[in-house]
Amino acid sequence: MKRRNKAKTAAPDPNVLLPPEGVPLHLAVAGMGARVVAQITDILITRIVASALVVLLAVMDLTSPQTLWAISALLFFIIRIPYYVLTELAWNGQTIGKRMLKIKVVSRDGLSLSAHALVVRNLMKEAEIFLPGTLLLTLDAASPIASLIALGWVIGTIVVPLTNKRRQRLGDMIAGTYVIDLPTPILLRDLAQSVPKPVKDKFVFLSHQLDHYGTLELQTLEDLLRAQENRPAMQTNARNKATLDSVIEKIRNKIGYADKVQPADSVAFLRAFYNAQRAHLEQKQLFGERRQDKFHADNVDQN
Amino acid sequence: MEEPTDLIRSARFRKEREADWLRLEALATKAETQGLRRMSFGEARDLAALYREATTSLAIAREISLDKGLLLYLEALTARAYLSVYAPQESARGIIGRFLSKSGPVAMRKSWFFVLLGFLSMGLGLLAGYLLYFDDPAWFYVLMPPELAGGRGPDATTDYLRSVIYQDDPDVSGLGAFATFLFSHNTRIAIFVFGLGVFLCAPAIALTFYNGLAIGAFVGLHVDRGLGWDLFGWLSIHGVTELSAICIACGGGIQLGAAVLFPVQNTRAEALRIAGRDAAKLAIIAAIMLIAAALIEGFGRQLIQDRNARLIIGWTIGGLWLMWFIRGGRAQS
Repeated sequence: MKRRNKAKTAAPDPNVLLPPEGVPLHLAVAGMGARVVAQITDILITRIVASALVVLLAVMDLTSPQTLWAISALLFFIIRIPYYVLTELAWNGQTIGKRMLKIKVVSRDGLSLSAHALVVRNLMKEAEIFLPGTLLLTLDAASPIASLIALGWVIGTIVVPLTNKRRQRLGDMIAGTYVIDLPTPILLRDLAQSVPKPVKDKFVFLSHQLDHYGTLELQTLEDLLRAQENRPAMQTNARNKATLDSVIEKIRNKIGYADKVQPADSVAFLRAFYNAQRAHLEQKQLFGERRQDKFHADNVDQN
Repeated sequence: MEEPTDLIRSARFRKEREADWLRLEALATKAETQGLRRMSFGEARDLAALYREATTSLAIAREISLDKGLLLYLEALTARAYLSVYAPQESARGIIGRFLSKSGPVAMRKSWFFVLLGFLSMGLGLLAGYLLYFDDPAWFYVLMPPELAGGRGPDATTDYLRSVIYQDDPDVSGLGAFATFLFSHNTRIAIFVFGLGVFLCAPAIALTFYNGLAIGAFVGLHVDRGLGWDLFGWLSIHGVTELSAICIACGGGIQLGAAVLFPVQNTRAEALRIAGRDAAKLAIIAAIMLIAAALIEGFGRQLIQDRNARLIIGWTIGGLWLMWFIRGGRAQS
């Protein structure tokens, strides 16, 4: 944990975006898989629309086959870049494919996406994705040099995003953008809010008993309690009971809590402990003492 | 220690603000699905105000709360609200209008040197191809891709060459198909020269030069047969626009490559980003010109068979482009 924090301060975290308000936001950089799938979805959509238009024209029989061919060539050409630019402009950095996969283009500087940035990243898409893609489709064994060049190009376009932390394509670099996973806000119940008074009086923790643990342990306990809450059926599970018992045993040993905890009270005990521990740690934090984990004080023996 | 006062500080903090957060969540969702434009004034105002409130809440929560669920929620909520508040506010029509009336030509003027280099690569290639053809007509086969030549070469008769230039019935000979093919070929060239410019300029210049070589040899062949002016007319009507587009795309590519080669005081990525501002506009101008060229080619070249008319139309359109680049966006600045 400590080591990871050191690495974070050494290099700027790629997952942090600084909006103009100055409060850094953690936005996870989207994975390559999601981006590739979104790209394929978009290609399919544009192709289907273009084909539908051409078929419509053909069925209506308005033009000669010659011009129809020219129109479709033109259509397939212009439906590409304008489609991406206009959808990303209208939906703030999302094409239909990106919307389906819940990923989104953002500007690296934290400001809103400019039209220029969207045009650039999608213009480069032509050179980075469509051309190598077409080359790959039209590979033939007759011209090994061309095939090798095409292969090198395709590998190059795949490698570039993998070499930087924000997974930027060349177009992203020039435009100053990158793609993030769209976060979903889910407001969970406040565990500290829902402790009934009798339970609170039943388990009393003294200040020195709360000096052992830090944030990491508290939040691990929070995860455990939320899991209990989300799946009430789990509370009758024998293995879950054993887990809770061993957790309680550990805590009791660590903090020197003498009273035995009844099996029926195990969740209530943990809740009460969570509540007291959180209040204690938050109080400490408010006065400038952040306790990362149970090793916050060197003289505490390791458990 | 009674009733709600027994809540710990961070829980009270949450309780006081929770309603606002939920409202912000609803507003952000609405902005995402329906767009800011369709929201009422009050909603848009609340979105902005609540977003700023939420950023403050997040900053405070990071200091006073250890509730992981709350921190993650606020983080995600603020991010969602941020993304919908800082969304592009311009309409597509406004952007296109601004580009045509101002930023496009201004970018052209700003990067005149690179565009000049682009024209120079093509021009030198043309000259070299022309001279090489007169040195030895066999060069034609080396320089001209056979599928583009369409049967025209040193072996073809002068009558055949003339008949291709002045088509009576385009559909029969497939000149229409040839025209679209040439269009798509040149489009691909334009995309290549622009995109390849990033790799240190050389591929862009080389490809433009090679394109010039092919045309040079082609011109040489026709001049040799005394069809020079006729070919000039045939090429002019759309070529002025189309070949200029390739040169401009090449100029954009060179600009990108130059940024990588000579980043001056910036990092290379940063220099590439700055150069991209104008280079992208050059690419769009090239794309517009290519589409215009395709239209001229599709309708003009087959309909207008007179040499002088072809010359006049081709160069007038060329002059109009030049006017746009020189005059566009000056009145405002």
